[in-house]
Amino acid sequence: MTKEDVNKFEKVQSQIEGLLLEVTNLAKKSPNDAVNKFKLKFINEILIEANTILGKAYKPLSSFEKFDEDDLPSNSDVSFILSQYLSCFEKLRADNIYRKKEYDGNKYFYEWYWLIDKAESSVKTAPPKKIK
Amino acid sequence: MSIIRPRLTDYHNIPLTQEEVDFAIPFIDEDIPLYVDPFLLWKSPSMQDNSLHLLITNSFNHLGYLFTSGKEKEALELLIRASECNEVGLGNSKSKTGKKIGEKLATNVLSPFTLIPELKKSGFTHFEEIQLLIDNFSKDRVSDIACNFIQSFLIDFTIEQSEKYGIPIEKVTLQNVYNPKSFKFSEEVTHLPVNPENKSPILFVPKRWLKFVPWINTDDYFTNYYIKNIHNPNEEFPERVKLLDFNRQNYDIVKAYTAIKEKTIENCKNDPLFNQVPITSAKRKISTITKLPTGKTDNADRKYEDNVCPLMASLLYPHLDFAKEQSRTDSGVQIRDMIFYNNKTSDFLKEIYETYDCKQIVMELKNVKEVKQEHILQLNRYLKEQFGRFGVIITRNPPPAKVTKNIIDLWSAHRKCILVLDDSDLKMMTSVFESKQRNPIEVLKKKYIEFTRACPS
Repeated sequence: MTKEDVNKFEKVQSQIEGLLLEVTNLAKKSPNDAVNKFKLKFINEILIEANTILGKAYKPLSSFEKFDEDDLPSNSDVSFILSQYLSCFEKLRADNIYRKKEYDGNKYFYEWYWLIDKAESSVKTAPPKKIK
Repeated sequence: MSIIRPRLTDYHNIPLTQEEVDFAIPFIDEDIPLYVDPFLLWKSPSMQDNSLHLLITNSFNHLGYLFTSGKEKEALELLIRASECNEVGLGNSKSKTGKKIGEKLATNVLSPFTLIPELKKSGFTHFEEIQLLIDNFSKDRVSDIACNFIQSFLIDFTIEQSEKYGIPIEKVTLQNVYNPKSFKFSEEVTHLPVNPENKSPILFVPKRWLKFVPWINTDDYFTNYYIKNIHNPNEEFPERVKLLDFNRQNYDIVKAYTAIKEKTIENCKNDPLFNQVPITSAKRKISTITKLPTGKTDNADRKYEDNVCPLMASLLYPHLDFAKEQSRTDSGVQIRDMIFYNNKTSDFLKEIYETYDCKQIVMELKNVKEVKQEHILQLNRYLKEQFGRFGVIITRNPPPAKVTKNIIDLWSAHRKCILVLDDSDLKMMTSVFESKQRNPIEVLKKKYIEFTRACPS
């Protein structure tokens, strides 16, 4: 991944996290209610961007590209797909980070950094989450 | 004419929904079950409506003037001519022709002008008060008299609307056009839409003037005014004729009632031609539907129809205007459960209109555990003429694979499209009806897209 890829990755991942939170709240209230066209349009925009970041190898479902508004996806459909995407984002991140042992004068601890252009970088990241 | 409950616009293949036009679309072989309420013209913010109300009232009061000044015959003749307006086609008539009132009733209607000094002196402000004074004079007469006195305006309105929407007009002779300058009815030759069945002229009426029951009416007067304010609880309720007599003797009470009605005009609204069920009622209906057992136990099939019909009519409004439930075929042997007009209001409806020649959409209700081949064949038998080759089955569960295959085969062989909606689809339609995130008709479109995807390419 290049530095630009990492930037883009972090932006899109946080957007999907935000969407998932919103849609999950809606899905808890009325799981079978349809998502309106306005929301779907932007969800699709983000998913298209996510597809380019994940590439063929990491894309969660080979037959899914984006939502078709005529299919009337429900809140629970959208939250299901978004959580799949988030898991794959995490998998991609976990494969592209490394940890370094550091000392703060008192104790040793591990910091996590991105691998940029296959080399260790100084761009910090969070430890890998347990992949669901 | 094979369309069920045809409207003028359907006859001319003009796709209009009732929602988008300003007038009530007339039916070809029956009346519109609403009435012109002069009170709506009085309360309207438009000065045009107010002046039309004034014209109606003045014209009616002029009858009173004639009646009390020795020209009784002339007054009665005018009132009798004004008492029926077949051109507007409002009311409950199945035949579209009404009868004029007789001389006896006409004399009764004008008698308050001689009996009540106040009326003799200054006339009515709201002539619908006559309903509270005279027996056998009801809302249809109020409506027809009002329409007759303003027929000249209605002619202009009809021509304007016909030109706007491309409704064909023909040369006609109207017998009853009122001239407020000479206070006389006369013949007039003009151009109007005509009933294709019998060539009689048709006048459009603005939707904003229509109500099921006039704002001033006997039932409301009796229950909301007389009982509460006038009636002595220790006495028996007077019978209708006695009550009307009491009103004639005490016209000030009627005036007081009218004054209250004038003050509460905010509540006086025109009635829409179709009322959607409220969301709470829709939710109640869907919950009743999903709890019903399948089959005919405890009349479950009847209850299913009673709940699904109003629910679907409301869910699909305003995209589809509801035409009729339980419509029989010409032979009377078969009954189609629900029929909608297809007005091509969306790309999906346009597509089924063009691809499947579907001018009216037929929906068949089946409260069965499993849709069977015979149900598909039954609907298939209806798919001709105005229904084209498109139909919908509403049932409880998704169809089994073999039935789905049969439906696809029907498309392959005859290019007929049958969609099956089940409980889950109705639930989703109700859910989007409540949340307003999407239109319920899009669920139907979704089923159509799923169907087209399943068809062999």
